[in-house]
Amino acid sequence: MEANDYKGRVKPSWCPGCGNHAVLMALKKAMARLNMPTHETAIVSGIGCSSRFPFFMSTYGFHSIHGRALPVAIGLKQAKPEINVIAVGGDGDGLSIGGNHFIHAGRKNPNITYIMMDNEIYALTKGQCSPTSRIGTTTKCNPYAWTADRINPVLMALSFNASYVARGYSGDVKQLEELILGGLEHKGFAFIHIISPCVQYNKVSSFEKIKELVRELPADHDKQDRVNAMKYAFAPEGVYTGVFYQTERPTYEERYKEVIAKAKQLSGDNVTIQDVMKQFQ
Amino acid sequence: MKDLIIKITGTSGQGIISSGDILSYATARKGYYVTTYRAFPSEIRGDGKCYYTLRISEHQALTATGDTDILICLDEDTIYEGLNKIKNGGILIYDKDIVTEPKENKEDIITYGLPITAISKELGSERSRNMVALGIAVEILKNLNLEEQILKDIELRYKLKPKEVIESNKQALNAGIKYAKEKLQRKDNYENVKIKSTGAKLIMSGNEAIGLAAIAAGCRFFAGYPITPATEIMEWLAKELPKFGGKMIQCEDEIAAINYALGASYAGVKAMTATSGPGFSLMQEALGLASMAELPIVVADVQRCGPSTGVPTKTEQSDLFAAMYGTHGDCPKIVLAPMNVADCFYQTINAFNFAEKYQVPVIILSDASLGPRRECVDLIDFDKLTIVNREKPELKEGCEYNRYNDTPSGISPISSPGDKYGEHVITGLEHTESNAPTPEAKVHRQMTEKRFRKLETAAGQFSKAKTYGSDNASIGIISWGSTSGPVFEAIDAAKEKGIEVQALYPRTLYPLPTDWIKGFVKNKDVVIVIEANYNAQFKSTIVERCTNINKGTEVLEFLKYDGTPFTPEEILEEIEKVAKIQNEKHEILTNKHTHF
Repeated sequence: MEANDYKGRVKPSWCPGCGNHAVLMALKKAMARLNMPTHETAIVSGIGCSSRFPFFMSTYGFHSIHGRALPVAIGLKQAKPEINVIAVGGDGDGLSIGGNHFIHAGRKNPNITYIMMDNEIYALTKGQCSPTSRIGTTTKCNPYAWTADRINPVLMALSFNASYVARGYSGDVKQLEELILGGLEHKGFAFIHIISPCVQYNKVSSFEKIKELVRELPADHDKQDRVNAMKYAFAPEGVYTGVFYQTERPTYEERYKEVIAKAKQLSGDNVTIQDVMKQFQ
Repeated sequence: MKDLIIKITGTSGQGIISSGDILSYATARKGYYVTTYRAFPSEIRGDGKCYYTLRISEHQALTATGDTDILICLDEDTIYEGLNKIKNGGILIYDKDIVTEPKENKEDIITYGLPITAISKELGSERSRNMVALGIAVEILKNLNLEEQILKDIELRYKLKPKEVIESNKQALNAGIKYAKEKLQRKDNYENVKIKSTGAKLIMSGNEAIGLAAIAAGCRFFAGYPITPATEIMEWLAKELPKFGGKMIQCEDEIAAINYALGASYAGVKAMTATSGPGFSLMQEALGLASMAELPIVVADVQRCGPSTGVPTKTEQSDLFAAMYGTHGDCPKIVLAPMNVADCFYQTINAFNFAEKYQVPVIILSDASLGPRRECVDLIDFDKLTIVNREKPELKEGCEYNRYNDTPSGISPISSPGDKYGEHVITGLEHTESNAPTPEAKVHRQMTEKRFRKLETAAGQFSKAKTYGSDNASIGIISWGSTSGPVFEAIDAAKEKGIEVQALYPRTLYPLPTDWIKGFVKNKDVVIVIEANYNAQFKSTIVERCTNINKGTEVLEFLKYDGTPFTPEEILEEIEKVAKIQNEKHEILTNKHTHF
């Protein structure tokens, strides 16, 4: 497969210069490297600029409602585990309205990849502060001052026990491709936080500003060490990119297989509805 | 004797529900028809009062209400309420160790104040009271031959518990039987009671019937969040779905639950969720998504009193507006209402068939009086059920597949992830036939009409509204869901008093079967719409949607909103009241006529 084979029917509607173009390209390239068949892959999103993603791909796609990319994606994966499921969305979608689902996705560990494009703003609604907006950001909704601190998505994912946690930056497509590839290959819930600047509504966190802040995790960082990963996620000196944490533990689907096996021990392999009815007789 | 009503009352934690359940299973397994009514508090233990009523009969009864033959009372506070409803010659059994003899006892009943706690304590614990009391009742109703079956049912019910639990329950039952046999001085006439056994049948709750039907319909995915009184559906499916390779997933909230189910449905697997009022409110946005993206989904709403947290354990039919109009926008969906436990099964089969065929959300409106109640269901012939699956497109290389093709029926075939050449994106945004989002005026108009056309296509397929009673009746009743049972019994009772009444009960509430309703109303002088809510939700829908329905026919309402289900007695009273007014009007008219 070539990256271009994943081009969808709809032309990307993002602004020229938007960070999301780089993410789209990185995902296509990573998928091409894995030869992921379009008919066996589903991209699921909620609502927001980045959530338009599925339309720009040639795979199956589900553009759902605001904040619900993860429950739709996990439901899909549980119903048909053989499908590759990728959830995509923004910071508002995944951390604000959909924040609750993020917590539980981590602990359930479904074998899906979640790509969060963080532009630190609600852009589709023309610029309001999001859970990752920085103090000092002003918008029409907060013309004088923004009054809440930011949350840290990488730290959240680490504490929710996501089994693959990485961060990238739209200014570095090469690294993004590797991080996404790692996420797609990972067995379990892979979370990739991508700082993806908005060129239209966010003047505070511009490409230039982010470029000054980002630095790669040291080469000797032990990816199995969650506490150390948290230290890097907390780091005041800048914003680290790379793979913070990766571990292997049973996925949600694998654990449910045990449930099915236990139930079938009681019922036998070829249970019929008539057999089940007998308990009411 | 045609039927027998036994009522067990007590405090939460005394095992009232367990003993009631064991007795109802045993009676059903002996071939009697049984229907029950359970009322219990939200508290697990403590001051909440529990009531378990069983009606054992030769024919399928429609309600468990009516005057009590035997009241077993294990709690002082419930005694007076129960006392009034004991029929002449009926029996009151109370635990004299913890309940004082009622001061104003009814004269025409037989009272047995018995040392139930003492007997239980002799066996080691006062916790076995419920089974001691049950043993006493079993001996009093010796002619029904329940003893052996109850012992078997104790084993079945506690088969996963330690052996001592089974043994102590059996001992307590036997101690109750022994006491009644040896020490009870019988003054009652129940020794010779006989009810005809009518052979094999099923016994299940309304919630279990929904679960069983889901599996029979091919549902292999359920996602839910615990909520009274709907949790039993997810508990039952958690146990049974994995046997079929299916999954029951407990989610972080109801919003997640319905979205998990939508994800599963998109994957091509039949999916459902079940909830009650508060959860149903949370699901509204996703119901709109299902309608817009044209995804099949079944949602069972086991209604309780609302709004907000309301009364979680009590019944109401007040979610009808939410089911019909809850989500924003013009949203085609289908709303069904089962009337009894058997109907919970068949309406759930319909729900999946409609959802799959018309690619809409289908809502089943059960309620707290129906979901947890156990009753008999005639044997189900699974081979005779019609099971519908969604229409698949023909997919070919090089042929672009459009998910939302505008067809004459409105139905567009669906492919699912895994199907080669069927890739497409579904969305809650307005979209073209080729699933591209668009705000274009003509597309929104066209696609709205396409989505609603499916309901027009479906209209002929819906199970028709049914009637009960004589076509010649001048008084009509319209009811829906579980209220229809007491309505039918009231109609039978009215007939015995010489009043003819006919009932109409629509099986599909949305889209509203306006033609049937109009046809029914036209032939009546007066129609009473009976439902358990304050706002007359169904009546106001009928009046609004059926043009000129009031012309020539008076449409009245009879409502209840105290958390208890209707009884046939109160409906009969209303019928008599209306009949009297009708007669008076008729007389006035006739008198006027003679004056001319």
